[in-house]
Amino acid sequence: MVRILYIEDEKEIGSWVSEDLTDRGYEVIWLQSGAQLETHLSNIDIAILDIMLPGLDGFSIGKRLKKKLDDLPVLMLSARSAVEDKIEGLSFADDYLTKPFHPDELAARVEVLLRRFQKEEAALTIGHLRIYPQSMLIINANTAEEITLTGKQFYLFQFFIRHLNQILTKEQLYEGVWGEPYLEGDKTLMVHIRFLREKLEQNPATPTIIETIRGIGYRVKQ
Amino acid sequence: MKRFFRSLLAKYMLIIIAALLFIQVAYFIVVILITGISHNLETDYTVEETKYTTIEENWHDEASQLQDVSAASITQFFKDWKADYPDAAMFWVDGDGKLREQLAVDENLPTQWTPSYTAKFIKARYDNNPFTVIAFVGGEDESNGFIVFEIPREVLLTPSQKTFNQYGMVFVIGIAVLVLLFIVISFLFFRSIRKRLLQLQDAMEIRDVDSLPVQIQVRKQDEIGQLEQTFNQMVQELKTSKEREQEEEGLRRELIANLSHDLRTPLTKINAQTFKLAKKELPLDVQQSVQTLTASVQNMDGLIENLMSYTLLMASKYKLERKEMDIIRFTRRYIASWYPAFEKAGFQFEVDMHPFDHQWFVDPNWMHRIYDNLLQNVLRHAANGKYVKMCTQSTDSYDAIVIMDKGNGMNEDSDHKGAGIGLSIVDKMVKGLELEWKIDSSADGTTIKIINCY
Repeated sequence: MVRILYIEDEKEIGSWVSEDLTDRGYEVIWLQSGAQLETHLSNIDIAILDIMLPGLDGFSIGKRLKKKLDDLPVLMLSARSAVEDKIEGLSFADDYLTKPFHPDELAARVEVLLRRFQKEEAALTIGHLRIYPQSMLIINANTAEEITLTGKQFYLFQFFIRHLNQILTKEQLYEGVWGEPYLEGDKTLMVHIRFLREKLEQNPATPTIIETIRGIGYRVKQ
Repeated sequence: MKRFFRSLLAKYMLIIIAALLFIQVAYFIVVILITGISHNLETDYTVEETKYTTIEENWHDEASQLQDVSAASITQFFKDWKADYPDAAMFWVDGDGKLREQLAVDENLPTQWTPSYTAKFIKARYDNNPFTVIAFVGGEDESNGFIVFEIPREVLLTPSQKTFNQYGMVFVIGIAVLVLLFIVISFLFFRSIRKRLLQLQDAMEIRDVDSLPVQIQVRKQDEIGQLEQTFNQMVQELKTSKEREQEEEGLRRELIANLSHDLRTPLTKINAQTFKLAKKELPLDVQQSVQTLTASVQNMDGLIENLMSYTLLMASKYKLERKEMDIIRFTRRYIASWYPAFEKAGFQFEVDMHPFDHQWFVDPNWMHRIYDNLLQNVLRHAANGKYVKMCTQSTDSYDAIVIMDKGNGMNEDSDHKGAGIGLSIVDKMVKGLELEWKIDSSADGTTIKIINCY
């Protein structure tokens, strides 16, 4: 089970978020300050931190956490919405969400972070595909056969899985997978998407796994 | 007084006074030198002897007193005169016009003097060099002929005249040197002032990292030094005032950030309670109330954000860092983040972006904020159109990003209609980024263009 370390001094908010996340199947360790932080460090998968806390503030706690565990995703959850605060937060943290927030948004962001840091054990089901994100094993649920992807197709699909439900622009995809600046009009990405669809989609002419968002880019949605 | 002597004025006065004194001193030196030199000049003549009239009178007198006219007496006479005037030459032409005796005569004289030659000789020597005196020997009796006395005029000059002739050039050169010296000193004096002024100007143009001028090292206590001191004082005052301003800005930001935080925390609490309620099975009317509550919380969140931004913007304290950026790429990425919200609300989101030839010089955070406010408006006030389009428009004179919806237009009443603070922020920010914008709103929809003119 994924363990979430959550630091929040406001009791009403803290209990609500803890309950909500627990309901969603996470194990939540809720602290009201950063004082007893050390005892919980050994077995947590993600940290959600408020900023205005008694004693050490959220920025300092976040920086300490990142220093000790650099593969621990950290999400700042604060009522401070100034650009300067966000910039400071994002200088070390992986995400920044401002209060008030919708619990669905918080859960979605937690999921994205867990996926990005590959902390999620469970298999994903996308359409007719079962995907194990850690090993990138892709099974066609209809035929129970494994789909093997090669070279750039593999990295392209992995990039989609890491940014599940997010719309990715052509530039983001090309630069994320190829590691080179995207030039307007380059067809390489489109060609690879076509190959990928031929392997993954039931009907490549009407794709359901890799969605085209006209004028923007592509999305793989769960 | 001490201060006065350090001043440039005092220095210049010193130069002028020195120059004037020099002329006086030089005058005295010249006088002393001339007198000194003339006293020391070796001369065979007394002052009296060098007078032309004395020579002439004596020559005439003594010639007329010669009684015994013979070669011997004339020779003796000549020798006597020669003793007095070693530089003189003398000769005797007798009554027959024959050249008889001569003493120390350099030129070739004819042995026989005709009246015409005599006249020519007299004419040639009259008021000329050598100084020549002709006298008849033995009174008015011409039969004894005449004796001629000649002496170079230079010999007869006064000592001071001689000194002047010999050393005049030295004095002229000396005075020229003095004048030149004065000019050179004045030039150097003003050049040093000019150099320091130019250095000061350069130093004043140097900027520190905080874009304020840098303090100057004060080396001298004259007028320029005082100017430098005043400049330093001014720099210090500027620094202090900037620091104060930054401190105030920091306080203001902090106040706004804290206020925003303090307002949002209770909102989050309300949110928490409404979500808890929403999970329960509730009668329909209570469900509606919970929905209204949720929407109001969201609305208020937006208002707090806008109010804070507006306050910062009005005080010109909203951080602005403009840079060259590919606006199409930025916008596409931005739309990707908003797309799901519109999708969820059942909107058709059309995107038609074509590359611009020019980069936009804007702050991405500001652009983000402008788009946020505009798209939020579409989502809130144009939901019945269920359509939004973002596209580009390019002409020779401008590039534009266009946001279109098919709502009821801005004049139509909307449930969420506020004081228009969101659009005021857009207006301020668009102008702050040196862009323009245009709203075209009718009952069939609203079109907003953000225009970058060239």
